[in-house]
Amino acid sequence: MRPAFPLVCRGLAWLLVLLLPACVDPYSPEILAAKRSYLVVDGFINSQGVTTIKLSRTFAITSLPKVPNETRATVYIEDTAGARFPLAEGATGTYTSAYLMLTTGRTYRLRIATAAGVLYASDFVPVKITPPLDAVDWRAEPTGLGIYVSAHDDTKATQYYRWEYEETWEIIPPFSPSIEFVNNAIRPIRVLYPAQCWGNERAAAIQLAKTTALSKDIVSDLLLRRLARTSDRLYRRYSVLVQQHALTKEEYAYWELLRKNTESLGTLFDPQPSQLTGNVHCLSNDAELAFGFVGAHSLAQKRIFIERGQLPFDWPFVSGYEACVPPDTAKGNYIPLLRTGFVVPVSEVRDGITVASLDCVDCRRRGSANRPAFW
Amino acid sequence: MKQAYTFVLLLFFGLLALPGHGQQQPPKLVSGAFNHTPFGQFVGQVEAQTGLKFYFDPAAVDSLFVTVQAQSQPVATVLEQALQNTKFHFTTDNEGRVFVYQGKAIEPMVMADFLSPQPVEASDVAARPDNADLPATPTGRSRYVSAAEYKVYEIGSGGTGRATLAGHIRDLKSGEPVIGASIYSESPNVGASTDQFGAYSLTLPVGRYDLKIRGVGIKNTTRKVVLRGNGKLEIETEEDIVTLKEVVIEAEKDKNVSGMQMGLEKIDIKTMKQVPTAFGETDLLRVVLTLPGVKSVGEGSTGLNVRGGATDQNLILFNDATLYNPSHLFGFFSAFNPDILQGVELYKSAIPAKYGGRLSSVLDITTREGNKKKLAGSGGIGPLTSRLTLEGPLVKDKSAFIVSGRASYSDWILKQLNDKNFAKSSAAFYDLTAYVSHEFNDKNSIYATAYMSSDRFRLASDTTYRYLNQTASLKWRHTFNNKLYGVLTGAYSHYDYNVSSDGNKVNAYELKYSIDQPALRADFSFFPNSRHTVDFGVSSQFYRIAPGSFTPLGDKSLVTPNVLPREQGLESAIYASDRFDITTRFSLSLGLRYSLYQALGPRDVYQYAPGESRTENTLLDTLHYASGKTVATYHGPEYRVSARYSLNDRSSVKAGYTRTRQYIHQLTNTASVSPTDIWKLSDGNVRPQIGDQFSVGYYRNFKSNTIEASIETYYKSLRDFVDYKSGATLVLNPHIETDIINAQGKAYGVEVFVKKLTGKVNGWVSYTYSRSLVRANAGTPADMINGGAYYPSNFDKPHDFTMVGNYRFSRRFSSSLNFTYSTGRPITLPLAEYYVGNSLRVYYSDRNAYRVPDYYRVDLALNIEGNHKVKKLAHSSWTVGVYNLTGRRNPYSVYFKATNGQIKGYQLSIFGQPIPTVTYNFKF
Repeated sequence: MRPAFPLVCRGLAWLLVLLLPACVDPYSPEILAAKRSYLVVDGFINSQGVTTIKLSRTFAITSLPKVPNETRATVYIEDTAGARFPLAEGATGTYTSAYLMLTTGRTYRLRIATAAGVLYASDFVPVKITPPLDAVDWRAEPTGLGIYVSAHDDTKATQYYRWEYEETWEIIPPFSPSIEFVNNAIRPIRVLYPAQCWGNERAAAIQLAKTTALSKDIVSDLLLRRLARTSDRLYRRYSVLVQQHALTKEEYAYWELLRKNTESLGTLFDPQPSQLTGNVHCLSNDAELAFGFVGAHSLAQKRIFIERGQLPFDWPFVSGYEACVPPDTAKGNYIPLLRTGFVVPVSEVRDGITVASLDCVDCRRRGSANRPAFW
Repeated sequence: MKQAYTFVLLLFFGLLALPGHGQQQPPKLVSGAFNHTPFGQFVGQVEAQTGLKFYFDPAAVDSLFVTVQAQSQPVATVLEQALQNTKFHFTTDNEGRVFVYQGKAIEPMVMADFLSPQPVEASDVAARPDNADLPATPTGRSRYVSAAEYKVYEIGSGGTGRATLAGHIRDLKSGEPVIGASIYSESPNVGASTDQFGAYSLTLPVGRYDLKIRGVGIKNTTRKVVLRGNGKLEIETEEDIVTLKEVVIEAEKDKNVSGMQMGLEKIDIKTMKQVPTAFGETDLLRVVLTLPGVKSVGEGSTGLNVRGGATDQNLILFNDATLYNPSHLFGFFSAFNPDILQGVELYKSAIPAKYGGRLSSVLDITTREGNKKKLAGSGGIGPLTSRLTLEGPLVKDKSAFIVSGRASYSDWILKQLNDKNFAKSSAAFYDLTAYVSHEFNDKNSIYATAYMSSDRFRLASDTTYRYLNQTASLKWRHTFNNKLYGVLTGAYSHYDYNVSSDGNKVNAYELKYSIDQPALRADFSFFPNSRHTVDFGVSSQFYRIAPGSFTPLGDKSLVTPNVLPREQGLESAIYASDRFDITTRFSLSLGLRYSLYQALGPRDVYQYAPGESRTENTLLDTLHYASGKTVATYHGPEYRVSARYSLNDRSSVKAGYTRTRQYIHQLTNTASVSPTDIWKLSDGNVRPQIGDQFSVGYYRNFKSNTIEASIETYYKSLRDFVDYKSGATLVLNPHIETDIINAQGKAYGVEVFVKKLTGKVNGWVSYTYSRSLVRANAGTPADMINGGAYYPSNFDKPHDFTMVGNYRFSRRFSSSLNFTYSTGRPITLPLAEYYVGNSLRVYYSDRNAYRVPDYYRVDLALNIEGNHKVKKLAHSSWTVGVYNLTGRRNPYSVYFKATNGQIKGYQLSIFGQPIPTVTYNFKF
């Protein structure tokens, strides 16, 4: 419900351009290009399971967003009594622990020593138990598919919730080529393209709720995701994995600010962003910044599946390949066309072949051909 | 360019070095032996010997006896001996008058030539208080002399002791009142200035006086009166045509030093006309922005930040009606037609008790009254707008009207630009003002004003923005007697905006906001005697706000209506103030205003969990208040105290303390003022803002009051003004309190101001060092900004230097040069990027930790007057100017855009190159 505001701003920019000899010049003070490589800690201490922490570095605003991973660091979880639980580096910059059962009532923190020998630690945080998800519901509504979560905690100890979700959906390419172009010639295909792939996306949105204003600790039917009726993710089968985190008040405040900061960049007309780092600090040098909030809690998760057949029949079937059909037909000397690599042959027709772009043929362009374990 | 600037500066300072003009008189000698002679008898003999004329209060000297022996001694020596060991002092002027009085000596040093028979330095004489009469100005124009000046007016009869003289000062030709003119007697040193109706009231001991009249744009004149009792004196003065571009602020000549007010800036329309502007048209708010202590966030904005206050903390009054949006076209133009303006007064500190409701300043804009003698008109044609004003008498000498209109033709320009984006755009505005005054009789007059300004624009899209100001005021002035008059004012203000979009029939909507404010006030001025000026009154204003409605437009629209409930409030105040001249050197002004605000129902008020950041999730309960029920009440005193101590007649020290309370808040989360900003009333969840300001200043005039200099310093603290949480949503937010926080602020600074308003070279130079800091440390950490530490506000620009200089080559040709420098506005910069929670995040600096590049601009204008024949069809003038002469690209905004995942910074400058303008003005 805030249509007017950004419009006015854009409008003003227009006006300036239009009525006045306004000029736009690049603005690149040295401060922006300055190399700022601070440690970023992404993850939480899982009190009942495997803790996965990603370590990376911040990068300058003006550089391309290529995330520099922090490798060969020594990472462990530590409690106030001094017990340590090490994390080992798996994939570059990703550190995992053994399956842990941490004691509620104690406080824990994450300690990091980088390969360069700089020491970091998060603040000690109490362990919270995440209550199970009561339900992940979906409803077909005029505005599209809504996915809702419900949870509660009778002990009223949770109060602050965060959800993440990961979507997986089937991808069915429209063509399965029977021929292929190898060595400047058409021949029958030897290895078929996969007939099915699975798209996967982890949501970037930050979903939060708190129940401090309610007499009971209940989250009821909170809208987590809305998919348009025309979403290609609903073509055949769709699945969503919802993960629920119980947060402390401080961690909740961190995520809430992070969400607001991400909504816009600082122009004259945007809301004021706030400075936000988290609860990780550099022990070796007070002035060195570190980013991320490491909380300690268990994880509750729930997966649901939605079949196309369960959705209203008047919803359109959208495969995402609508632009691919019908395939183009190439007649005469189509070898030069194929040689460009823009298209691949699909099938032979009378005096020619049909062709399609690789994206229309190879569903691995849009997902993975490996069937997920849960599918 | 640089050479020209240096040239003007040289002239400017060269003139400062010129010696003053003076006169010398041979010392008058007295001989005689007086032994316990009554003072009256003594005076008689001295008058006979010297031809001097003595002035004194006979009642006061009846027990004064003189014992002195003199043998051809100078008068001063003899007088000094005669008055030795008495409580009497004497002073003299160069027209052979000697004043004998009790109390503190007025100015012993002016007697320099009187006391010593040696020739004296000219500069000593230049310091005489009556030097205004000397041909000090290098223009060489002759003094205006009329029969009225020679006539001796006998006023009243049978009075003893003190009597009050009252009346009006009006323009001879048009009958318009002369506002802010001084009428004073030099001995005793008693003066008064005319109010907005041209009325004055002067209390003097009965006797014979030469009253001097000085004013802006009028010729200096005098009236000889013999005051025998209370009475009236109407004074007509002649307009000072020749000084059209000279700007004589002689009325306020020594006001800088002797006036009670501090932190007050007065600018009349003639001064405003000299300041070059981007579009050639005189712009009131632009001129105000050149004054010390007044800033704005950017060039396109007319939002004023006065002494570290926010843009909503200025009470803008247009003939006593509150104006909510004083600008056109996003703030590129002021919404006032310059031809109808009389002048503007800006109170930065020591705000009179009469005014209230805003924290930082009062900008009091008054219109002219219209020509009471004959029909006249004026107008102008500029590159974007044209204007026309007509004025004349309704009943000759009794009532007059003035109507004016101004309209833009930017719409037409857009059509000429052959671009299909622009073809869908439109931008048009106009403003209309009408003013009628009528004098029923000596005691009763009424004044009515109606004003309207409208803006409408559509920007290469299907969305139309419109905003509208409407104000009306009706004033009845009743004079009870010479010592008391009252003004009853009824005013009505309306502001609304409206955004509509009809491009997509399904999504077509209309977004509206409006505020209505009727107000009633009664103000009285009472002059019990020459040492006291008492003002008192009551006022009450009702606010009615429609905070937002979002409704479908057209039959096909599927937009769900969302109408926020109305807000209502009543603000009342009672005030009294007394200006007390304790001695001629020391004056005190004590004022108290008590304001009461009630938020009124019907209204739903949300209750939030205590100790938690207010969000929708911490909403506990909703309380419903019925119509007319009081939702919340706030009240409190507002102190207005100021004092002046004259060190001598050229310099003084002033100090003041002002408290202000504000019950209505402007919500804007953009740094500049935008038409969709909304005003919000205080209620149970939004407390009123309170400001305290302490200020001290030193004032000194040089070169017989032709150069005024002042240095003022202030410290200000602001409580509970509105700041925003990160990512606040302000439009159509039914629980706005969840997105705003009550912040604390402090501001301090030093303002140095040097002004020279006469002579070929005139203008002013001001330098301000000021800081404006904000702190949001209440509530939960989520509500804190920068960890609860003080940070620079959006308009914190520590260094600010302005020079407005004019040079008159001849009576028909003059030039103006404007120079402005200020520190860049603070901004919050994105410093680094990182991945957390599966998304790219940006790390921002502390709020307002960095600054945009410094601001610097030079403007030049040439004014060419038509010939000065008195009788001709129309007087005309041309203004040719270049705005931003050096073409510097001052950043208006700095923004960041992500291009291919890479964030790049851009700066937008609005006037990025020199802008030439030509304006034609006429007057008939």
